[in-house]
Amino acid sequence: MKRVAIFAALLATLLLGEAFGQEFKVGSTVSDFTLSDLKGNTVSFSSLRGPTTVVIFISTRCPISNSFNDRMNDIYEDYSAKGVKFVFINANANESADEVAKHAKSVGFVFPVYKDFNNVVADRFGAQSTPETYVIDHDGVIRYHGYIEDSTNPARVKRHGLKDALDAVLAGQPVATAETKAFGCTIKRVRPTS
Amino acid sequence: MKRFEFLGVLAAAFCSSASAALVPIDEAGFRKLVAGSRGKVLLIDFWATWCVPCREELPQLVKLSRRLSSRGFRLITISADEPEQQAKAELVLKQQGAPLPAYRKQAADDEKFINSIDPKWSGALPALFLFDKTGRMVRSFIGEVPMSEVEAAVTKLL
Repeated sequence: MKRVAIFAALLATLLLGEAFGQEFKVGSTVSDFTLSDLKGNTVSFSSLRGPTTVVIFISTRCPISNSFNDRMNDIYEDYSAKGVKFVFINANANESADEVAKHAKSVGFVFPVYKDFNNVVADRFGAQSTPETYVIDHDGVIRYHGYIEDSTNPARVKRHGLKDALDAVLAGQPVATAETKAFGCTIKRVRPTS
Repeated sequence: MKRFEFLGVLAAAFCSSASAALVPIDEAGFRKLVAGSRGKVLLIDFWATWCVPCREELPQLVKLSRRLSSRGFRLITISADEPEQQAKAELVLKQQGAPLPAYRKQAADDEKFINSIDPKWSGALPALFLFDKTGRMVRSFIGEVPMSEVEAAVTKLL
């Protein structure tokens, strides 16, 4: 009886994961995927990644995502100098490549943004909100998943989730807090996830 | 006479804004809220003034609440706004005629608060959490969702 219950629980877990389509979690290895640059060219993750890679899902319209625009520029500049590669992704179905390009220009992003059409990549990461970040180490293993910082208001920030994770990974140390959460906007998918 | 009219307007404004004041809520308060709603089908709407889809679905949720309240349905709104947006949040709720009391999250740690509600939830808004009459969470709706789907889920539990 116990064995049946365990089997049922395992099956339910598998089915849930399947329904959500999430493959990449903290501790799992990220396999290659493709994105589109804002001119419509296909770009592979393997061509963008480095020894340490940050993947960030962002939005043009989400005020929470936008409250981090300057901080994303700062982190990009500070950590690119340390060899970290960044992949900024817009997976929102309601934000076109043209809108993403105009937004990037108007807010002064110093990094490229890629489109994830049909939220295929967001589904594989199980990303739900913007901004949502992932730190991937040289083995392709996800070492951190969560917020950039714990507050939209820089004056109220107590924890620097992304920076702390990057510092740990670059120092060859374990990431103390590998998963974090904060309020944000949902990724606007082409189909509902729940 | 004009002076009385002015005083009347002032008094009305004071009363309505006072009645719409958001009640702070943390993890313990949330648990109490759910426990105190046993016997009713409870839908908790996490929203924020900065969340456009949340503001768009609020009038539909209010309509649903008015239509089904006599059958034992209760809608509660919890704003995820920061203290600086509290006045704006109160105004939105007042304009939409949202049920009172309404709440604003005031937890020491947002992450603990989010996890206490549903560990599978990332904190993304809009987010609706549906509880049956025993106070058990039956399902969540994360992101934009057709109101017909919400209504069907609620009606099934009434």
